[in-house]
Amino acid sequence: MTSIPLEYFLIVAAALFLIGSVGFLLRRNLLVLLMSIELMLNAVNLTLVAYNRVYTESHTGQIFTFFVIAVAAAEAAVGLAIVLAFFRVRKSVRSDDADLLRN
Amino acid sequence: MEALKSQFPATSFSLLAIVLLLPALGAFVNGVFGKRLGKEGVRLMALSAIGGSFLASLLTFLMLPRGEDAEQGGRLVWTAWRWFSISGRMQQSIPIDVSFAVDGLNATMMLVVTGVGFLIHLYSSEYMKKDDGYHRFFAYLNLFCFSMLVLIMADNLALLFVGWEGVGMCSYLLIGFWFGETKNASAGRKAFIVNRIGDFGLLVAMSMLIYYLGTLRFSGIEAGATSLMAPVKIWPIGNLSPETLPSWAAAVLLPKQPVMVYASTLVGLAVFLGCAGKSAQIPLYIWLPDAMAGPTPVSALIHAATMVTAGVYLVARLGAVFILSPAAMATVAITGAATALFAASIGLFQHDLKKVLAYSTVSQLGFMFIGVGVGAFASGFFHVFTHAFFKACLFLGAGSVIHAMHVRIHDTDQSQDMRKMGGLAKYLPVTRWTFLISCLSIAGAPLLAGFWSKDEILWKAFSNEIVGPKGMSSLPPWAWPTWLGPAIYWVGILSATMTAFYMFRAYFLTFHGEFRGWTIVRGWKGPHAGHHHDEPHAEDDKALEGPVPHESPLPMTIPLIVLAAFALFAGFLKADPIHIEPLGHLLEPVFKTAETSIHERASAKGMEWIMMLPGFLAFVVGAGGAAFVYLKSDGAQEKAFIKSFPRLYKLIFDKWRIDELYDATIVGMVDALADIFEMADTWIVDGILAKLSAAIVGAAGTVLRAFQTGKVQAYSASMVIGLAGVGWFIVRPHAIASVDDSHLKQTGQVVVSAAPGFGYSYKWEGPGVIAAKDFSETRELKMELQPGDKKEVVLQVKNAFNGVDTQTITLARPGKRGANAAPNNAPPAGDLLPEGGKVVIPADKIPELIRGHQ
Repeated sequence: MTSIPLEYFLIVAAALFLIGSVGFLLRRNLLVLLMSIELMLNAVNLTLVAYNRVYTESHTGQIFTFFVIAVAAAEAAVGLAIVLAFFRVRKSVRSDDADLLRN
Repeated sequence: MEALKSQFPATSFSLLAIVLLLPALGAFVNGVFGKRLGKEGVRLMALSAIGGSFLASLLTFLMLPRGEDAEQGGRLVWTAWRWFSISGRMQQSIPIDVSFAVDGLNATMMLVVTGVGFLIHLYSSEYMKKDDGYHRFFAYLNLFCFSMLVLIMADNLALLFVGWEGVGMCSYLLIGFWFGETKNASAGRKAFIVNRIGDFGLLVAMSMLIYYLGTLRFSGIEAGATSLMAPVKIWPIGNLSPETLPSWAAAVLLPKQPVMVYASTLVGLAVFLGCAGKSAQIPLYIWLPDAMAGPTPVSALIHAATMVTAGVYLVARLGAVFILSPAAMATVAITGAATALFAASIGLFQHDLKKVLAYSTVSQLGFMFIGVGVGAFASGFFHVFTHAFFKACLFLGAGSVIHAMHVRIHDTDQSQDMRKMGGLAKYLPVTRWTFLISCLSIAGAPLLAGFWSKDEILWKAFSNEIVGPKGMSSLPPWAWPTWLGPAIYWVGILSATMTAFYMFRAYFLTFHGEFRGWTIVRGWKGPHAGHHHDEPHAEDDKALEGPVPHESPLPMTIPLIVLAAFALFAGFLKADPIHIEPLGHLLEPVFKTAETSIHERASAKGMEWIMMLPGFLAFVVGAGGAAFVYLKSDGAQEKAFIKSFPRLYKLIFDKWRIDELYDATIVGMVDALADIFEMADTWIVDGILAKLSAAIVGAAGTVLRAFQTGKVQAYSASMVIGLAGVGWFIVRPHAIASVDDSHLKQTGQVVVSAAPGFGYSYKWEGPGVIAAKDFSETRELKMELQPGDKKEVVLQVKNAFNGVDTQTITLARPGKRGANAAPNNAPPAGDLLPEGGKVVIPADKIPELIRGHQ
């Protein structure tokens, strides 16, 4: 059985991370921003499990991934709550409008 | 008594702690909880604190060493703790302890402070009854007693200084007790600032004592005082000499002989500056008359009976230092005489009853300084003792009068004005009799307390001669002129005459004649409302309007009676001419060493009784003159005097305009200095410093604000850029090496180590390098260099992405080539080397190890 080489996983993860980060930097919709963060986190997750596939003697990578997933879930919940609260105040979900402290 | 003596041995006499701590406790409780305690509670606390302190002082007094013990300088000593140590000029450690020692001198003083203090506390508990600051007043008063006890019980100058400053602070607080009026607050400030000038002198004296004697303990100062006979050059100072000065300046400034004085003179004068401040002597007396702004019991306790006598106490305490310098003694005595005369002259024309008493106090303090200045320490102190009673009695009597006047006049200044009083003897019988007794006492009526003490001082001034220490140093001491004693004596007699006159003037104006206060009733509405109170109707007391002045209640009259009793009889504690002197015997051991260089002038022998006559005549003339002018002819002569010499009268009435003189000179200079500082403050501190720094911070803010967009994505973009930079750095190879050359000088060994990194491998090249040809994991390279050697090593680093970085490291060992060929200390043959084969290279000839970058 020939396995898929590590590099493939890394390339996919890098591509995912790039999409996520570019999306985070360029998009203005807060919901999209949250999704971009999820993308980046999942790119890291993919890297971690891919390495774990090669170095099989410990499960650190997989365990770490579970932690990341848990934190990502919590973060998504908090993030959505913030977006909801923000929408109530400004009737908008654009990150540009989040400038209450500045003005 | 025996049981007590075993409980409190003389070397660890902890009873003193009770004497001290009770007033401190009173001050704490009244100060912190006073408002909640209520007036009755405050009164109970304050009176029991000072009363308990008095009982403990009495016990201390009874347990004083007597007879043989006292002759050998036996004292009651209690050391609380070691305060700090300083090092002297011989590098020796000088311990400064919180330690108290009691002998006959300060045991007597303790009794006066706590005893008179208790009576005045009792008096104040009634006098201050209607005041809102009742608890504050008693907290201050107790704190004052504590500080005063620290001052007199301290066994070293440093601790005395703590008490000295403590009483100064309490005095300030109590003078400005009614700080609502600017006049009172500024009087308090004046007292505080004038005292600071004196305290400077005391600090200087302390430093000199530490320098010359290496101790601040009174016993140590007394024992080692002769070390102060060192001559000190006071002019020219520093490096002033004909070489450093232009010739005209040298001719003016430099004397032929350098001016030399004894260290004892300097110490004596510095101490006396402190005493002049605290005890209101010329030129620092100006604060005391203003201090009368405080409540009258405060004037009685602090500014008459106790605090102001601290200076006299200190001069007496340091008598062993003063007798080493006839010049300093003469300064003390002359200043005292001048102050006595000067203040008495001001007292002649004052209208304010308390002002008369204030100048009288200054004048009497002058008498005390005459006493200690002519070497009659015991007599000077005895006057402190008797003065405490009759002057406290006079002030409390004045307080009682003011208290009575207050039913008619609700104005501080008006109620103290003697022109509004008169005829009060009818309404205030107890006050009148006690006041009369104290007047007689201070005026020197025969057999009363003031007579004995004043007469003693004047006699000693007449007869004493200070014989400076002889043959101790090359510098001839200043000789005490024979005319000085008689001169001071006659000035004293003149002052005593004035004292008798102005005291009886005050007495007759206050208690005799017609009551002149009927016309003023402020804020009182009588049965005939609308009646004009301005109309003079002093013709008879049937026409009186409003409340009648009445005698003060019992808590105020009891202190008066007790003090008057002492003013009558206290003189017999030290009546030298008739040889009844228990107090004199008690003080003898204290001044034993100090009185060795005091001699009776040969020409004054056997004149003691004759010289009492002028003193007696002073009383008769002064009191009789006052009776004639103010009792018989209702002040007609005073008015005549005012008419014929209006300007002289105005000058004396304005206190010789000394305050104005100080305002114009010293205060003016200080004000000018303050103006300069204020300009510096507005222009430099506010203008440049504050505005410039504000501008810099503002500009920095403007620049930084551009980055603070408030947009999350702008922040995250900069984060991404930064992370990319870090990533790029990690991806690139870096050939960085550190060189450990700590063994270079000894063995020539050098360790070069390359910095680690992700996936790095290393390759070393260079002359004499035995290393792998290819990249390997060897991070360290060890090399040995001979003296004078210089080698270049090339380091190549390859990282995981096969990037390569190269660096050349130059290693060099200082020294002559071949001088130390063998690193193991084996000298090469034929080479002339020092023993051991080591080459000693001067440190400055070793060049730095050279490191180069490619």
